[in-house]
This record gives sequence, C-alpha cells and structure tokens, in this order.
Amino acid sequence: MQVSTKWLKDYIDIDLTADELAERFTLAGIPVENVIHAGEGLEKVVTGRIDELKPHPDSDHLLVCQMDVGEENPLQIVTGAPNVKQGQIVPVALVGANLPCGKKISKGKMRGVASNGMLCSADELRLDVEDAVDGIYILPEDTPVGVPAAEVLGLDDDILEFELTANRGDCFSVVGLVRELAVLTKKSARLPEIKVDEDDAASADALVKIGIDAPDLCSRFSARVLTNVKLAPSPDWMVKRLEGAGMRAINNVVDVTNFVMLELGQPLHAYDFDKVVGHQLTARRAVEGEPLHTLDDTNRLAKGGELVIADAENAAGLAGIMGGFESEITESTKTVILEAACFNSASIRRTSRAVGIHTEASGRFERGTNVNGTVAALDRVAQLLQDMGACKVCKGVVDVYPNPKPVTKIKFTAAQINSRLGTSYSDKEIVDVLEALGFEIDPINKVEEMSDEVVDKIASATKNFSKAAREIGKKSNVENFIGNIGATFGNLFKNAGAKADDMAQKAGAKANDMAQKAGVDDFVQNISAAVGDMVKTVDIKLSSAYEATVPDWRNDVTLPDDLSEEVARIYGFDKIPSTLPKGNQQGRQSATQTFIDRIKAILSSLGLCEELSFAFTSEAMFDKMRVPADSELRRAVPIMNPLTDVAPLLRTTLLASIFENAARNFSRKNEDVRLFEVAPVFLPKALPVTEQPLERQQVVGLMMGRREPKGWSQDAAQIDFYDAKGVVEELLAGLSIGNYIVEAGEHYALHPGKTAVFKKGRDVLVTVGEVHPAVAEALGIRKKICVFEADVETLHRFAAKKFSLESLPKYPSISRDLAILVSHDTAAGDVEKIIAKNGGQFFKGVTLFDVYTGERISADKKSLAFAIEFRSNERTLKDEEADYAFANILAAVEKDFGATLRS
Amino acid sequence: MKQQIKELRLRAGTAIGSATTLKELDDVRVRFLGKKGELTALLRGMSKLSAEERPLVGKIVNEARAELEQLIAEKNSQLKASELQSKLASERIDVTLPGRRVHAGHLHPLTLTLNRVKEIFVSMGYSVEEGPEVETDYYNFEALNLPKDHPARDMQDSFYITEEILLRTQTSPVQARTMERHKDNEPIRMIAPGRVYRRDDYDASHSPMFTQVEGLVIDKGISFADLKGTLEDFSKKIFGEKTKIRLRPSFFPFTEPSAEVDVSCVMCHGAGCKVCQGTGWLEILGAGMVHPDVLKMSGYDPAKVSGFAFGMGIERIAMLTYGLDDMRLLYDNDVRFLKQF
Repeated sequence: MQVSTKWLKDYIDIDLTADELAERFTLAGIPVENVIHAGEGLEKVVTGRIDELKPHPDSDHLLVCQMDVGEENPLQIVTGAPNVKQGQIVPVALVGANLPCGKKISKGKMRGVASNGMLCSADELRLDVEDAVDGIYILPEDTPVGVPAAEVLGLDDDILEFELTANRGDCFSVVGLVRELAVLTKKSARLPEIKVDEDDAASADALVKIGIDAPDLCSRFSARVLTNVKLAPSPDWMVKRLEGAGMRAINNVVDVTNFVMLELGQPLHAYDFDKVVGHQLTARRAVEGEPLHTLDDTNRLAKGGELVIADAENAAGLAGIMGGFESEITESTKTVILEAACFNSASIRRTSRAVGIHTEASGRFERGTNVNGTVAALDRVAQLLQDMGACKVCKGVVDVYPNPKPVTKIKFTAAQINSRLGTSYSDKEIVDVLEALGFEIDPINKVEEMSDEVVDKIASATKNFSKAAREIGKKSNVENFIGNIGATFGNLFKNAGAKADDMAQKAGAKANDMAQKAGVDDFVQNISAAVGDMVKTVDIKLSSAYEATVPDWRNDVTLPDDLSEEVARIYGFDKIPSTLPKGNQQGRQSATQTFIDRIKAILSSLGLCEELSFAFTSEAMFDKMRVPADSELRRAVPIMNPLTDVAPLLRTTLLASIFENAARNFSRKNEDVRLFEVAPVFLPKALPVTEQPLERQQVVGLMMGRREPKGWSQDAAQIDFYDAKGVVEELLAGLSIGNYIVEAGEHYALHPGKTAVFKKGRDVLVTVGEVHPAVAEALGIRKKICVFEADVETLHRFAAKKFSLESLPKYPSISRDLAILVSHDTAAGDVEKIIAKNGGQFFKGVTLFDVYTGERISADKKSLAFAIEFRSNERTLKDEEADYAFANILAAVEKDFGATLRS
Repeated sequence: MKQQIKELRLRAGTAIGSATTLKELDDVRVRFLGKKGELTALLRGMSKLSAEERPLVGKIVNEARAELEQLIAEKNSQLKASELQSKLASERIDVTLPGRRVHAGHLHPLTLTLNRVKEIFVSMGYSVEEGPEVETDYYNFEALNLPKDHPARDMQDSFYITEEILLRTQTSPVQARTMERHKDNEPIRMIAPGRVYRRDDYDASHSPMFTQVEGLVIDKGISFADLKGTLEDFSKKIFGEKTKIRLRPSFFPFTEPSAEVDVSCVMCHGAGCKVCQGTGWLEILGAGMVHPDVLKMSGYDPAKVSGFAFGMGIERIAMLTYGLDDMRLLYDNDVRFLKQF
C-alpha cells in the first residue's frame, strides 16, 4: 500500500513532514517501509521555453538555445538533444542543480560556447513516464514558464510506502490510515461524506439478480446499477491521487472503483450490464475444468472449488482477484453493474496463490475487509461518478447478506490490561484511547453487582485478623490496628477507580465496625501479610469492568489482549516501563549440549577449524563419495520444493558437507585445510516419508595439506593417516573414552588399506582413514585427504561419567628398549598387545618409537622399536626385576611373531 | 736479589697485561708462578742468602706472588667477560625470522556468538532447550496460532518434506514442545537455539538455513514490561552497556501485543551511519506477549499465567559483532575466514 501525503491531508489537517508521518505510523504498528521524497533533486529545475535555436558554430550536432525561464534575460544553454524545437517548453536544470540522476549542473562552455544549465530528459529527472522518448522531455504547450518543474510534473507530493502487517486490513485504505492518524495526532478527521442521489427511477433489483451459492466463501454481495454511463478520462485530481498510490488512470468508471478501493479499502468491480448473460451474478464454487477468461485476456481452466462470480452461463471472473474478460467495461458500455462483496480471506489467498495473480483487490480480501462497508463503497462510487456527470443511479441496492456478522464485544478491566502490559494507566486513559480508535466502551456495573461479595470477603478477612489478634493476646496498639485496616482498605480501593469509591466507603465502614465489634486487642504482624493476600485476590474484580464494542473495520481485535496492544501502541511502547521477571530459576543446558561443546573445544584445540554447512545434499554428491547404490545413506529425505536441483535431499552423512567445503577451499588454493563439524544428519524411518526422520548428531573431521604451517623451519611433510588417527586418539582421550580397540576397517569413501575403526565391543566409536583416491579425484582435490566420522550419541554413551585421576609415581621407573625384526605384515598393534600381556606386574606402558624398513634389513622384514616402562608403586624397582620382565616379553614376541632382536 | 725480583715482577706484569686469551694468561701464570716457574726458582735461590737477608727477601717474594696472583685473577675475570661477550655476539640470531607456527583451531563465529547468547541467558536463569529440525506442520505453525491459509504464513516460505512435515522455519516449535512437557502451569524460562530453514534466496543478507534463538518465559504475572526489561538487559550485555532498545508494534500470530525490537546502532551509537542506513537503529529481534491461544493449545491456562516470547537471528548478531557485510561468508567455510575468529 502506498499513498501520497496530499491524499492523507485531504482528510485531516496535519503539518507533519513525510518523514515525521512515517515515524508516527511506524511506532504505532503501521510500518512505513519507505518514504519517496518526490521532487528530490528537482529543486533547481524550472520550466523554460526555447525561444531561439541555432546550430553550434563549431559542432554539427550541438544546438545553442536561448531559453525563457521566467527571468528578464534569456538563458543560453547548449544541448545535444536532437528532438528539441523552437517554442517547446522543457524542464531546465539551472546552475547549481543536483539532479536525481546524479548530475551536478555548473556554468560551463561547450566547444567554446557558454552554457548555463541543461535541458533535461525524463530519465535525468527520474520521471516514471510511459511515453518517454529519447532526448529532452517535452512538456505540454500550455505549461507555464519559469515555475518549478516539480510542480507541473506533479512531483511535489511525498509518497509513503507501507509494509502492512497481516492483521491490519483496515489500514489498507486512506480512510483507515487517516483514522489512525487522527488518534495519534489528536486531530479530527474529515472523512468523506457519502450521499447518493438515486436519479434513475428504475429499481436495481428489477434489473439484476444477485445470488450467493457459497455463503462460506462469500458472506455478502451488494450491487448497484448505474445507467447512462459516459466513459471518459478522469479529472486531473483523481489521476494524481491514483498515481500517488501507484495506480494508472484508465477511464472514469475503472478509476473511480480503484479510487474508492484505495479510499475505503473495499475492492469493487464494474460489469458491463449488457454483457452479463441473464443480468444475473452469482457467487459460486467453480466446477473443475470450467473455462475462465479473465481481464488479462488469459484463458484458464478452473481447478474446481475456487470462488467465481458467474452470470447465467459462464464464470465472469475470479471472485476478489480478477474480473472476467467478456463483461469488461468498454467504450460501448451504457449500463454498469457495480459489485462490492465480502469474500473469505483464506479462500482468496489459496486461489490467488494457485493462479499466481496478486492484485490490489486480492491483497485486501486476504487481510479481510469490512463486511459492513460494501454499501457505503457502492454509494461512494455512484456519488463520484455522478459528480463527474458520468452516470445515473438506479434506485436501491441489491444486497445479499444471508448471515449478518455479529458485533464483537470484549469484556475487560483496566487492571487486566495494566497487568499484561506492566503499566498503570488509569481507567480514563484506557477508555479514551479505545474510544478514539472507534471502540464503544460501556462500563459494566460489575462493582455494584459484586459489591456484596466483595464486602463479605473483606468482612471474613477482618474476622480472621481479629481471631489471630485475640490469640496473640492483649497489647497496646488497638487504635493503630483499626487505623491501619482502614488505611489498607483505602489503598485497596484507590486503584479501583471512581466507580468503586462508594463501595470502598461501604466496605471500609463495615470492616471498621466489625473489627471493633470483634474486640480486636492488638495489631499483629501477620495481619499486614493477610491483607496483602486479600488485596491480590480481590484486586482485579474490584477495578471497573467494561465492555468494548469493536468497530466493524477491526477484524483483528477479539480478545482483551488485543485491547492491551491498542492501548500500548497508541500511548507508545516507549512509555512502558522496563522490569525483570520476578522469582528465580536455575539456568542450565542439557548434558548432550555440554558434551557437544566439549567435542568442539577439543577439536579446535587440536588445530581444526569449525565449519557450519547447509543440511542439503544430492545424489551427485553420493556418487562422488562412492556411496554404494544399495546403501542406507542413499535413502535420504527428499525436499518437495528445494531451492535448487543441486541440493534436493537432506544429508545422511556430514562427510557430504565437509567434502564440499574441502573442495571449495582447494579450488581457492587453500590447500592446508583442517575442518570439523558437529551437526545432525537425517535418517528417514520410511520412504516415502510418513513421519519425522531420526535426527542424529554426527561429528566429522577432515585434514589435508601440510602437517605444519608453511615456514622457513617447519616440517614440509603432508598430513597422512596417522595425523588424523592422532587427532582421533586425542579426541577420545579428551572425552575420557579409553580401552577401545582399533582395527582395520572398510568405508565406502576411504582407501581400503588405510581405514581404521575404533571400537568398543561391537560399537563403532570412530572411523578414520585416508580418502579413496577416486573420491578425491571426483572432488577435484589433488591431495591426500584424511577424514574421521563418529556418532555423537555413541561417544557420549562411552564417555566416562566420572573423572579418574592417576596419581603421580612415587618411585622411579625403569625403561628398556626393545628393537625387533618382524615380518612386514605384522601389525604393530598386535605386538603391543602381546608386550602388555607379558609385561608382568610392574609393566606400566609401551611406546612404539621407531618403525624402519629399508636397505639395512631384509625386504620382507620391518624393524619395530618399543620403549617399555616398568615401575612399582611400593618401592624402587631393581634392575633384575626389569630384566626378568623384559626377557619374558622378548620370549613372547619371539614365539608369537617369530621376532628376532635387532642387533 | 731484590733487583731480580723487581725485574721479574715487571716482566710478569707486562706478560699478564698483554695476555689476550685465558690460555695465554694461564701460560703466563705457569711461567712465573708455577712449580717450575721463575718466581719459584728465585725462591729456591734464597738458600744462598744470609739468615738476616732471608726473611726480608722472603717477604718481598711473597708480596710479589700475591700481587701477581691478584693481577692474574683480575685479568682472568676480565678475559672471561670479554670471551662471554664475544661468544654472545657470535650467537646473535635474526629475531625477525617468523616463529615456528602450529595449526591453531578455531570455533565458528556463529558458535562463538551463540555461546555468548547462551551464557547471558543461562546466567539469567534460562534453560537451553532443543527440538527437531524437521518438524510437523502442527508444531511449526498451528500450535503457534498459524492455521493453514493464514496470511502470515507468507512471511515464511518453507521447505516441505510432505504436506504435514517440513524443515522448521523458526525455533518457536520448541516453545510448544517444552510447554507440553510441563504440567500445571509450571513456570518456564527457556531459550531454544537452533538451525532453521526458509526458502529464501542465498544472498548477502539471506540464507536458506540460519540460526535462531527463541526465548520463552511463562509465570504468574509476567508482563510486557518484563519483556522490555529482559531484552534491554540482554542487549546491553551483548552489545555494550550504552546500548538502547526501541520496540515497534508489529504483528505475529503467536504474540499479542507483538513488537519488532531495534537496538541503537552498534557502529554509530545512534548517530546514523551506513550500517543502520542512517536511522541509528538496527532491527535484531521480534518479541511479544504469548498469545492466549498459544498458551491454551499447549496446556497452559491464560487466566492463571502469562508469558513473553522473543526470537532473534544469530547471524545478524554475529555480523554486527564482527562487522561482516555478507552473510554468505558464514556458510562459505573458507579457512582464511574461519582462522580469524
């Protein structure tokens, strides 16, 4: 919705600038998205007549003009435009002008001839004109000379562009906006006086028949008949208002219906009476396949079920969205049926989306129109056309309104509104705002009604005090007690408003009386607390209650909560105090969340950068990753409406994402990449999807490039399997997961000889490996890549719940090196296991510190060197004890692996 | 004899003085003071002297020895110092050569921002709740007072899996799920951080997936003023003590009243700059009092309790905090970008 400030000012006297208006509206919940300052940059552009036109002495395409710009002396301007002629009136930018196109005009010479300004094209002035030709913009012959161009171009009117929220259909009209503005500025609005002179004796209901076959989709259908219609262009003022609202003038009949729609918010449609078969219009559901020929001259077939307006034979338009082609108003139209109806917003929204047509009318119906506004809108159209002498108006309105909408009434109290807002507005302040907004407010005599009840409550509370007091025994403060009770009741009623005064006195007197009769002897501490509690229970009921009748244009207000918003937004959200919720609660996050944070902390401490990627993937990515055709991973959840075909599936493995990120980095020559991500993957329970998929958190890591950053004294070696495995080992250690086994494994995307799985029993903790060369090639990465992946829940399950500290050794340990030759295919891990098994009671650990294959030993052998540590926790170990254990180990590896000591 | 000693002392003094290395100095010491040294030899010659002369000359010899030893010691420490000096000089390295670097890892800027937001709210007594990213239409829309065909559904174009299952467009469904888990109008104070999805084009300020944090507080007597105070507190903690907030009335189907919340521009502090497009304000979240229908649908009684809710985009906060001008940087995962946080 956009509207010019001039149009608003037709109905209300305000002297706010467009920017001030925008702020007022926005801060009252009617957001202005943009202000178009018309005429900006046109301050020094005036109209000028070309009095003389001569060719430039030194150029065959330049012309020297003597311009009359309303000053004493003519202004000389050189122009290169070919379309100018003597006598024409054109926009002239004077020296100092700063045009909307960015050009700045200064005194100058063109090929030696002085030029003191510029003749302007439509484009240079950023004019939105349809018939703009190349060259200078030629103004009409009768344009006055020497006046600001903005004025004659109608650009002296600022435009407000509203971005209305879905609930405020009523502000989709000038009148609606003016109504708000009147409340905000406390000025009175001059809304148009609508009256129509039914000057054609023929009765409308004798001429047309109106029917509603789908009352759920069309709640009201009102029509008027206009005769002697004379089609003509609309008067200037109306054209300007329409253009200010972003609509083009067409002819008086169409323009007036558009004007009234913008003015009152009620969309209208005009039918050529003679083209409406049977002179009857019915709102009904379309039949599937029924032809629809709409105003845009498009032939459509109805889906079935959408609301159409049909004549005796055909659908004559998509109700509320676009009229029909056949019954369109043309030059030959003599009689017009004018429709103003109220359609179901959801139905209009569905149809509008389905056919892809969004019109000014459909936008209004989608937000909801005022069902009580149809007749006024018809009258307003008739009135305006009549004023233009463009028609006669038949007697009566044909108005079909089978189920009149009940008036919405809301009961509320000021306390209710104040407690929701955290404010302390008085009854009067609240009532004033609502009444200004058009609500009718009736006080409910609730206080009178409930006065006995309240008095009883107070009386019984008083009795309780007395009882408590008696039990405590006699002390000296009787007078105080009674005085205090009186004061408390006084306070109690203070907030309840004027209506309660009377009752407050009554209750106060009664309480006083009862307190005395009960023989109160003392003032006890807990009485004040009891009074406090009582105040709370009776508080809301004590404040005056009201009933608000919601104005018929406000479909969005149905609850007391809605009323609280009205009060808050008109007084301003800035007037609401700032407090914090009372009471305390314990903040925390879930164990899983904390565990994930730990994973992220460990991996980032190990030199990996956290990536975050989209959850989408594709079949093509599965192909690149060599996911087998029958793999569960290929059973990914498809998105019905993906953004692009490139990513139509939800990922089943995070490897898909991390590989893409590695490839993108590699293509940008970032060759040293260490990434990790923790995120969910989506595993469908069934395909096609019938319920929400399983979401499992995964962690993946990827490493490629140099082991150490490039540097003058840094290791230039490239990352390999063991770097990735080391990271995994550190991760598991950091998560307190121990006693796992590591064995050779298989993985679709990994090198068959360079894949390891970390296991606990049958559960796989982590899979780590070097990426299969075919996968790397498919990703376009000419580098060794290593990755690991793990399931977060599994890791969490095996992570030690308690921290166990190993105390520092009290006695020195003895270390023995074992260097052995074993056959080439012996797994070092197996040797370590045997060493540990045969190490005896003082064995503390083994570290493989060298692996050698090469010239110095035979080709089918490799040399493994282990440092083995022995220690006792009770005493200093003797060398012989270490030697004995070492001998056992040696014997075992000789036996199990045919190992020989390397000499 | 005296004359001899005097002459020896003179020669020895000269030799000590002219020694340039510790080795030379030691040679001088041996030559004059060693067991076979000249002074020792002189001492031996003393036997030829008379008994009267002997103590006299002995004294002179001892004095000369002490004097020479003193000289040698001085020279020794002098030479040591200069030798250390030249050793240190010879060991000088180019300290401008770069240090040996290690690959440092980094958390993603969105994680860092989210952690900060979580920290603030946890310290204010909020628990961190989570929910599925693939949601049902019911939790994503209907339980939030957004029935089918509600025009406000247009505000969020969704990725659908089936007619009834979709990628959540907001973290608000966690609200409804959390409320359902509680009984008897139990108070709630929660935030729900998480990924959400909207069918937006991928450009400098939109992304089909982004991170949201939803907040919900339900208790007796919760008011709009409490919401305002909470957001003010949060904004100051995340953007700095001088931050102001501004609430503009708005419309969300799940809150009433509803507000868009602006903070004073973190760049220009309200003066107006490019980041805030001259307005001095930056929109960072939407909020409001929970709609009574939303409370009812999830088993709470709006007559007994009230609540407020808010939702914010973490990308927006991260971009403001780190001065990023293109949201795509956050999901591009270029290591040169990631290594800066």
